[in-house]
Amino acid sequence: MKTALKLLAAGMVASVALSARADITIGVVLSLTGPASGLGIPVNNGFKLWPDAIAGEKLKLVVLDDATDPSTGVKNTRRLVTEDKVDLILGSSTTPISVAMADVAAESGTLQIAISPPPLPPGKDTWTFRMAHSAGVIAHKMVEHMKKHGVKTVGFLGYTDAYGESWLKDFGAKAEPAGIKVAAVERFQRTDTSVTGQALKLVAANPDAILVVASGSGAAMPHRALIERGYKGRIYQTHAAASRDLMRVGGKDVEGGYVVSGPATVAEQLPDGNPSKKAALDYVQRYDKLFGAGMRNQFAAHTYDTLLVLQKIVPVALQKGKPGTKEFRAALRDAMEHFGPLAVSQGVLNYTATDHWGFTDDSAVVLKVVNGDWQVEQ
Amino acid sequence: MPPRASSPGAPPVASASGGPGGAALRTAALAAFVVLAAALPQLPVPDFWITQANYIGLYALVAMGLVLLTGVCGLTSFGQAAFVGIGAYATAYLSTALGLSPWLNLAVGLALTCVCALVLGWITLRMSGHYLPLATIAWCLALNYTMANMEWLGKFDGILGVPPLSLAGIDFTRARNIYYPIWAAALVGAVALLNLLDSRPGRALRALNGGVTMAEAMGISTFRYKVQAFVIAALLASVSGWLFAHFQRTVNPSPFGIKWGIEYLIMAVIGGVGHVWGAFAGAAVVKLVEDQLQVLLPRLIGTAGNFEIIVFGIVLVLVLKYAPQGLWPFASSWLPAPRRVRDWEHAPPLAERARPAPGTPLLEVERVRKQFGGLVAVNDVSFSIRGGEIVGLIGPNGAGKSTTFNLVTGVLAKTGGSVRFRGEDITRLRSRHIARLGISRTFQHVKMIPAMTVLENVALGAYQRGGSGIARAMLRLDRAEERRLFREAERQLARIGMASQMHEPAGNLALGPQRLMEIARALCADPVLLLLDEPAAGLRHHEKQALAGVLRQLKAEGISLLLVEHDMDFVMNLTDRIVVMEFGTRLMEGTPAQVQASPAVRAAYLGTEH
Amino acid sequence: MDLSVAGILLLDGVANGAIYALLAVAIVLLFAVTRVIYIPQGEYVAFSALTLGLFQLGQVPGTVWFLLGLAALAALLDAAADLRARTPAAAAVRRALRTLAFPVAVSALAIWLAPHKPPMAVQALLTLALVTPFGPLVYRLAFRSLADASVLVLLIVSVGVHFALTGLGLFFFGAEGFRNPSFWDARFSIGALSLSGQVVIILAATAALIVMLWLFFERTLQGKALRATAVSRLGARLMGISSDAAGSLSFAMAAFIGALSGLLIGPTTTIFYDSGFLIGLKGFVAAVFAGLASYPAAMAGAMMVGVLESFSSFWASAFKEAIVFTFILPVLLWRSMHDPHPDEE
Repeated sequence: MKTALKLLAAGMVASVALSARADITIGVVLSLTGPASGLGIPVNNGFKLWPDAIAGEKLKLVVLDDATDPSTGVKNTRRLVTEDKVDLILGSSTTPISVAMADVAAESGTLQIAISPPPLPPGKDTWTFRMAHSAGVIAHKMVEHMKKHGVKTVGFLGYTDAYGESWLKDFGAKAEPAGIKVAAVERFQRTDTSVTGQALKLVAANPDAILVVASGSGAAMPHRALIERGYKGRIYQTHAAASRDLMRVGGKDVEGGYVVSGPATVAEQLPDGNPSKKAALDYVQRYDKLFGAGMRNQFAAHTYDTLLVLQKIVPVALQKGKPGTKEFRAALRDAMEHFGPLAVSQGVLNYTATDHWGFTDDSAVVLKVVNGDWQVEQ
Repeated sequence: MPPRASSPGAPPVASASGGPGGAALRTAALAAFVVLAAALPQLPVPDFWITQANYIGLYALVAMGLVLLTGVCGLTSFGQAAFVGIGAYATAYLSTALGLSPWLNLAVGLALTCVCALVLGWITLRMSGHYLPLATIAWCLALNYTMANMEWLGKFDGILGVPPLSLAGIDFTRARNIYYPIWAAALVGAVALLNLLDSRPGRALRALNGGVTMAEAMGISTFRYKVQAFVIAALLASVSGWLFAHFQRTVNPSPFGIKWGIEYLIMAVIGGVGHVWGAFAGAAVVKLVEDQLQVLLPRLIGTAGNFEIIVFGIVLVLVLKYAPQGLWPFASSWLPAPRRVRDWEHAPPLAERARPAPGTPLLEVERVRKQFGGLVAVNDVSFSIRGGEIVGLIGPNGAGKSTTFNLVTGVLAKTGGSVRFRGEDITRLRSRHIARLGISRTFQHVKMIPAMTVLENVALGAYQRGGSGIARAMLRLDRAEERRLFREAERQLARIGMASQMHEPAGNLALGPQRLMEIARALCADPVLLLLDEPAAGLRHHEKQALAGVLRQLKAEGISLLLVEHDMDFVMNLTDRIVVMEFGTRLMEGTPAQVQASPAVRAAYLGTEH
Repeated sequence: MDLSVAGILLLDGVANGAIYALLAVAIVLLFAVTRVIYIPQGEYVAFSALTLGLFQLGQVPGTVWFLLGLAALAALLDAAADLRARTPAAAAVRRALRTLAFPVAVSALAIWLAPHKPPMAVQALLTLALVTPFGPLVYRLAFRSLADASVLVLLIVSVGVHFALTGLGLFFFGAEGFRNPSFWDARFSIGALSLSGQVVIILAATAALIVMLWLFFERTLQGKALRATAVSRLGARLMGISSDAAGSLSFAMAAFIGALSGLLIGPTTTIFYDSGFLIGLKGFVAAVFAGLASYPAAMAGAMMVGVLESFSSFWASAFKEAIVFTFILPVLLWRSMHDPHPDEE
């Protein structure tokens, strides 16, 4: 009896102690290994730009690797929510994993900021907000550019994974109303030794433009293969290819290629009126200083933007509850829908009760590879 | 000769001890485990650990299938994850697209898995040695890529929003509630497998490990059993997949790829691939260590990343080098080893074949020939054996005696010639059909199962005199028949004079007694003709005399014997007739006196006299 | 599909097939001498390509630290064994030096030369010198004490080694990919086909290597001695053939071939830290086609795999992998029925 009372008392003290934590615990689930690690690792690097505290509260980051496996992502999220008792979750950097995590976030009442654009059925994304542009926002700018230059037919050469899949759907949805037809569809794997067959088929179909859907250094090989096969039309890449790796691996062959992405990586070239210019400049200067000139990329920019958002919502939430409590988590979520519009390095964010995508249609820019560097297309 | 312990799964040969009290202690330990497992979710354990326990249960289901397949039957499979995928996708698709009940989907999933396993098993299990695991890698990859590219299965995104199980209004979205179906399935599976391994079909399965010759000679259809083991393992994996789908409620291709196929095998090997409980041990160790490493390694290395894979690779190598039996044997050594309770005293005896009258023609070997390419191993050899006689087959080394044995018993295909047994032409029959006709044999190199007791090894010989199948064995409905089989086995052991050692693991015996055990096993098959390949090798003088006495007794009971032997005293004093072979050819045939007097025989053994 | 497209696909298939042939040959070699079915053969390819890629950037490649780590571990274990066996200090030191000398020397050279961006040929040689020692070290650490184990055990161990090497590869090389410049930029036209110099080099190197290996194993005493150790380890030792030396040598040869393949394949595709597995598996399909025994058959099998992959990627690119791996099943079945191999162990 005595032991039981002692245990009970200890438990109460412990639970009180736990709930009176002053730290804000942020759970992070990223693809640090596996096929999508090219996106996850830069996101992780972006945390080095973060300060130690927000609004006076110390930040505690718990980073877990989902290895580009949705099951692992779900397991990690459950662990973060039940064991580490996080106040919010960032992740994943890979779309299908973010989709799988959304359920766990909703069940546990935890805010999820996805560094990827997970498509979720209406009602399922109450607790999930996207920090990355949707394929639709990028595709919008891409289709606009294509239409301006008289492109009528487009070939598709993309990853056989969720990223490639979502692009195929979203691009088709934007292209069709603009009168652009998807003429041929070919798929490949990041680790393939060659894409000659696929390139041949596409070049034979000879569309006005070809859309390559791949990420990081994996985007170079398909691009080169098309050039090698003698393709003379326009080649477009997605925002996942917007990194130095494309030029490093692609060399001369990627000259003249278009990459549509957020504005962060070309901060210096943005017109002064662009709302993102200030944040973008700050991001590239600090990132390049830490990691080396020209190392800036899309993905770390999302991490930077997340900080800007947190700096807005944390003070608001602190008024409603203390970190570690249910009220705090709910308040964080509510604050997300009310802080906008906010100019961040990648565009303008404005989440509302009905729109958890955030980025407006004008947030993307079209870049062209000129002399091994980015040039903004006006 | 020290037992070779370098293959994973060959269980250690521990001496039997503990007696009936030991069995009670083991049952008590099992009961305690079940009670603890049942009570766990009701205790104030954090949700996280219940979730861990759920995953452990799911993994254990797959791993125990591997214990059966790899540990017991020796068929290494890297592809079990594909069957998990079939079960998971079947229920995920049917629940979401067609809205069917999860319980119905379980049946559908199992049926689908059964069909796939039969097809894949039919292809894969014909291969042996190292081709088998390579084939499992191949179809695991092929199935995974196919599943990942099917539009209607959601491709790489998979299927989301799989509904939870529904039963009596219980909320199965809670980890604590789905815990029960998971662990119920795991424990039922474990008990079924344990029952199976301690039965007639279980002994047949255990005989598959390391080669099929002996099993076929006992009348066991080894291919059929391999396929059955394969299907059982696949069904267990499928159940795991079904539970997984309703636990995680999203299904995508990655848990069913080659990486997970390898991980399941790692769990089984680390836990102890020869023991059913090893599956639980391995699943628990791998899961828990993986989790801790996930937190620990990033702190050590400084960057987050899935580096647990390095540790697993290293641990796997270390386990295979230093503890090839896995971890379970360490745990189980704390419990006394089980000892079989002798309850077959009053079991009714088995039916016996009618013995032929002495002198009637029994075996007629007519110009059998065996050529290996250009080498003629057996050159048109003819002889015959009549009922109730002992025939010796002697000759210098390399004369082709054991090859002749193999030809007669159907282990090797004949290049020419014919063999008739009791008037029936058995030339084209396989060894298991020949065994069923009443010919039994022993082997030149002892083929037995070291981990099984002497009694169980001998009972294997009575395989074709029983009839229980796998289902009956799992449900423990075969006890009456088992008692009869054990009674017969003990009787044959008593004949040979080894009844006192019947509970000893066979691997603990010296070579001589092992050979005697083989004879007892051959006798258990109720033969009319017994072929003994060097039965006296490794026996001491008085043991040989005792054996000679037993063999004479067999002759008196109407069993004919064909002996290959090198011990001339033994042969000359025992046999009625002797056939002498040299370089694959029959040199002469006659009574022991005639053979001893023959100059040709002396020349063959000792060289020509000048 | 017209003839020119078919021609291009065929050429592409043959070029890839040549790389798979190199891997297949190495796998057959290792099985023939040590009975290890070496799944991680592809890792050497990846490491070599990544090493050259990092040299191209003027950086010291992670291979150096990886190699030093392995060498140190091997030396440590040897020292511990020597301590237990109370070997005289001189012999123990000599053994440690033998293990460490080459890796340390090559690593030092690499660290010194890397920032100077030496010419391509030097970088290539350095890469070969850095990756080849991995072979004997892996043999020492994982396989040597299991020399008597069954083929199945060795297969599972090689899977474990694959996991460890892949994970460590990520740690030492990072997650991004590399593509190296071509060795020979020329292009040749044969009718409608266009042959790049790199492909010519690949084909020539593969053919040369296979001929050399065949000659070595069939016609030299040293080669036959290596084969003897796989047939009967004890028998070979009784003849004075050290099975440890045979194992080390064959692993070194396989690593060298893998490293060479990495140099050759680097320019044609982007290589990542985990590219090795899939490439290795395809080389493996070809090796199985050869029954893990014949070098010319390995080459033929590899060509078939390469061409099958090439045409599949044209016709049904999403199902390419499924097709290639389904192809292996009838091959395995056929092989298994053909090979008279002992079931009993």
